[in-house]
Amino acid sequence: MSEETRSEAIEHLSFWDKHRFLVLIAITIVVAVGLVAVSLVIYNMSGAAQLDLSRPGYKAVASQAQTNTAAFANYSATGPINEETIKEFQKLYDAQADSISAVDAFGGDPLNADTLEFGTTDTTTGVE
Amino acid sequence: MNIRSRRFTFGIVASSLVALLAVVFFAGSTLAADEPLTSEQKQRIQANCQSIKSTLNQLHVSDALLRVNRGQFYESLAGKLMDRFNGRLAANDIDAKSMVAITGSYRTALNTFRTDYQVYEHQLADALAIDCTKEAQAFHDSVEEARTKRSKVHQDVLRLNEYISDYKLAVNTFAESYGEVSTGDAE
Repeated sequence: MSEETRSEAIEHLSFWDKHRFLVLIAITIVVAVGLVAVSLVIYNMSGAAQLDLSRPGYKAVASQAQTNTAAFANYSATGPINEETIKEFQKLYDAQADSISAVDAFGGDPLNADTLEFGTTDTTTGVE
Repeated sequence: MNIRSRRFTFGIVASSLVALLAVVFFAGSTLAADEPLTSEQKQRIQANCQSIKSTLNQLHVSDALLRVNRGQFYESLAGKLMDRFNGRLAANDIDAKSMVAITGSYRTALNTFRTDYQVYEHQLADALAIDCTKEAQAFHDSVEEARTKRSKVHQDVLRLNEYISDYKLAVNTFAESYGEVSTGDAE
């Protein structure tokens, strides 16, 4: 193909033919942004965000999350039922049940106006 | 008018009065909750804005940790102990209806706990996003709303603890009856 014919052929190419690669990149970026947006919505709506202690601001307590559930010794779902196996289960279960009942989770009233200092104490003037 | 119809009229009047008093009481408490802040209270919120937000932030973080640890515990209790014991009983053809029913209710309560915590967390995050130096009233209302939602989460925790105790009781009852049956068989 001569140089002249070639340049003539290029002139006849449409806009899309000329910018095919750029269009491909643009579409890829749009699809990626869309998928990221969808995944972020799912992340927030599903409750996964609340369990994610790697978020900024939560790293200080992330190490305190109990990742080891070894305390729950695996009680086998198969095997015979006799007094011994029942007692074994009772021992495992009672230990966990007692430990959970010992702490009053989400108790107290930390969001009370008085606790949060906009109740009765006047701190603006230092007078109570 | 005979005695019967008098009693009937008196009953209607008395119940109407009780209903009226109940309406007044609840309406009063609702009004009190929505009561606008006084200028002094607004000033106090604006003056303590930073320290209040700092406290709320700490609570936000510590509650998140509590949610993670509690959620994991509750999930493990159901998956590693309750379900397995129920399965073992079923595999041995032993009737475990009461324990299965409690496990079912426990799982429902666990789902409610998850949802209620999510709602509470969103509310607290919304409250933290409000600029309390400019919108003291909105901030106060938002914190009050979060307070109500947190107490709902607490109720869910109490309900879960109740189911844990109920399951323990059911297992103890089963163990006793099983012991009696096995002793009877031996004799």
